[in-house]
Amino acid sequence: MLPRAAWSLVLRKGGRGRRGMHSSEGTTRGGGKMSPYTNCYAQRYYPMPEEPFCTELNAEQQALKEKEKGSWTQLTHAEKVALYRLQFNETFAEMNRRSNEWKTVMGCVFFFIGFAALVIWWQRVYVFPPKPITLTDEWKAQQLQRMLDMKVNPVQGLASRWDYEKKQWKK
Amino acid sequence: IARQRHQKRTPDFHDKYSNAVLASGATFSIAVWTYVATQIGIEWNLSPDGRVTPKEWRDQ
Repeated sequence: MLPRAAWSLVLRKGGRGRRGMHSSEGTTRGGGKMSPYTNCYAQRYYPMPEEPFCTELNAEQQALKEKEKGSWTQLTHAEKVALYRLQFNETFAEMNRRSNEWKTVMGCVFFFIGFAALVIWWQRVYVFPPKPITLTDEWKAQQLQRMLDMKVNPVQGLASRWDYEKKQWKK
Repeated sequence: IARQRHQKRTPDFHDKYSNAVLASGATFSIAVWTYVATQIGIEWNLSPDGRVTPKEWRDQ
């Protein structure tokens, strides 16, 4: 939805030029792929475009537009709806509808986060240097014993968490 | 006389697949990160508190 809004902003700048092209070859297009509708839709922030949504009217639509020039109390409900649909692509309820796009976005976000883990895995295998001796389990266990012997941070830190009588970590 | 509605509320890509994309993306991400964080030898250098059993160092 957002890209389409941005796209329509881009088109709006060139809108008049495109419309000029359309109307000059309009009558020959007939049943071709291009529609008689503009590309520039009304949006919440652009609620009243200059051009109506449907620019090429068949005979009965033109008759309806003629009828619109008279008193609007003469129009039936269905005719009013038809006139609205000629003028606008979507109602506000339709253009403001929720969507499930966020799930797709978050799914892709998670996918790329997972892909980053694969990159780090590759780096661990091919880039990381060998682990220093000071980070091996044996060295760390001995380092811990030495720190406890020195009573490192005995008030609130490491040594305070060790029970020296029972020789185990405090629960 | 009323023109056909332009889009008949047919499900778009997100309506059809977004749940699957979200679930599979999250599962893949959690699984691969759990594996990478624990199984391939990355050193996180966590605190020894509660984890490491000290070993005598003076006998070397």
